[in-house]
Amino acid sequence: MMTRVFVYASIVASASALAGGLALNGYISPAISIALLGVAWIVAYARRLSWMSAIVFALFTFFAILSLWSKTSPWLAFACMVFSLSAWDLAKFVQRLDLTADKTDSQKMERAHFLRLGLVIGLGAMGFAAATQLRISLTFGGAAILSLLGIWGVSALIYNLRSRE
Amino acid sequence: MSRIALLASLIYLVILAGVGSLNGAILGLALPLVLYLVAGLWRAPEELKLSAQRTLSAERIAPGGTITVDLKVTNHGEFLEQVLLQDPLPPFLEVIEGSASRLVNLPAHGSLSWSYTVRGRRGAHVFEGLTASAEDHLGLIVRRAFLDTRGQILVLPSVARVRRIAIRPRQTRVYSGVIPAHQGGAGIEFFGLREYQAGDSPHHINWNVSARHSDSGRDVAWQRLYSNEYEQERVADVGIVLDGRRKVNEFGGGRSIFEHSVLATVAVSSALLSEGNRVGLFIFGKRVKWTTPGYGKYQRERIMQDLALAEVGESQNFNSLFIPRRLFPTRSQIIIVSPLSGEDLPLLAGLRLGGYHVMVISPDPVSFESSGLGDRPSIKLATRIARLERELMLRGMRRAGIQVVDWNVAHSFEQTARAALSRPPSFLRAIQRGGLRG
Repeated sequence: MMTRVFVYASIVASASALAGGLALNGYISPAISIALLGVAWIVAYARRLSWMSAIVFALFTFFAILSLWSKTSPWLAFACMVFSLSAWDLAKFVQRLDLTADKTDSQKMERAHFLRLGLVIGLGAMGFAAATQLRISLTFGGAAILSLLGIWGVSALIYNLRSRE
Repeated sequence: MSRIALLASLIYLVILAGVGSLNGAILGLALPLVLYLVAGLWRAPEELKLSAQRTLSAERIAPGGTITVDLKVTNHGEFLEQVLLQDPLPPFLEVIEGSASRLVNLPAHGSLSWSYTVRGRRGAHVFEGLTASAEDHLGLIVRRAFLDTRGQILVLPSVARVRRIAIRPRQTRVYSGVIPAHQGGAGIEFFGLREYQAGDSPHHINWNVSARHSDSGRDVAWQRLYSNEYEQERVADVGIVLDGRRKVNEFGGGRSIFEHSVLATVAVSSALLSEGNRVGLFIFGKRVKWTTPGYGKYQRERIMQDLALAEVGESQNFNSLFIPRRLFPTRSQIIIVSPLSGEDLPLLAGLRLGGYHVMVISPDPVSFESSGLGDRPSIKLATRIARLERELMLRGMRRAGIQVVDWNVAHSFEQTARAALSRPPSFLRAIQRGGLRG
């Protein structure tokens, strides 16, 4: 199945981006650790340990944040984040497709899923490009208010999502 | 942790790290995650307004038979993406063609039909209904619904054909049948002699005996004549007891001899009903179930349905076994189908003393269990001891006047029943008795 191939490709891309970024800055041991974590994710996925995807996705996001402090290329950190997000998302999608032996509409669903995920990643990349180019001087108070607003916005969004379930 | 909670935690982490370090690139990492959440909100599924209809190709089947389940799901609401429709299968049913679940897009006010084929083991298999779950494309919001579409499949027990079961209860009913009634009258088998009575058929006069007792000085008209009397054949009351106690039916490795007991019960009840007898069934297993006595095909159907539902249970011994005399008067026939345990002998002997004609059909648990245990010397010794114990128990039963059929389940029941229970034709019985002379 095509989606399954994309899961493996996303894991490899995510681990390579972060490990490469760290290695280029001379952090060889952390780079090897990230590569090994990527291998563990691939093995876990192949063995259908679905809970592992969420854990490794969270770890990769955490390491992507840390890597930006260690002067790694922001785009490599971003690539690690979005590819691990897509691997986590596609792993869940494959799991749902596997719940039925009937594959009548599966190709149509795969196309729609890729389109929406691609849209999310594309828009995210544009926003990230803007975030790396824009230079705004903020006081700590201003930044705190902005972060509070951001957290409030995200919380409102999550509340809305949960209330629909 | 749910997917939304994980995403939320990561977004908070990224925002706090970005603001804490005043690093725009870190804040930018939160964007794909936030957009992912927004995408989930954008096309979240509406409330599910679905209904379902189930059609079964048959409601009762023979073992090994298949049933096609047709399902039709109608969407009364808006367009739904990625709806997973699952028909949870009852235990012990297996899908042999098609699929019990579908992942589909359901158009607004549209419907979807599909079918699959199942087969299963003996028993009643109940379908409760379908579960439906719809998700947005990114799997963040899930809506679930239960669609009530009940259905039941009854898989009947296997049927072994036994032509005749020879029983000789001391009491029979008034209707004519095939069971010797211990009474002279119209019949086939010679029963005795009596003095000629007006109305007797001349064919029944036993000329040899009449000649031996003739008075030579008198006219033939004054001669004493004797008529052959034949044994009446009637139907009888038969109560069949099926033993479903777990402790005598189940063995290590999940093996159970109970299916053999059920098979024997089906064969015996069918044969007796086809001969016109009044047959009742008592199942002593997970549930204690009486099938009140009756005649004919309708009764056979009732017995088959109750046997289809029979399961082994935790009942410990036969002490609570009570034969209602209103249904089975003393001197009628009781047939007990059981692998037996040593403590059953007093109860069975008690039934015999109570006046019942008792027959025990016993699937042999010793050979059944030992066949799955290998041939180590210790196993052989244990088997030998168990066999001796069983032999002693069966001998005790025979001594108490109980008819015992010891069935090694490695052989077919038909074979065993033919040897032990079938009644030879009348000419053979006459030869066995010493000739055709009356």
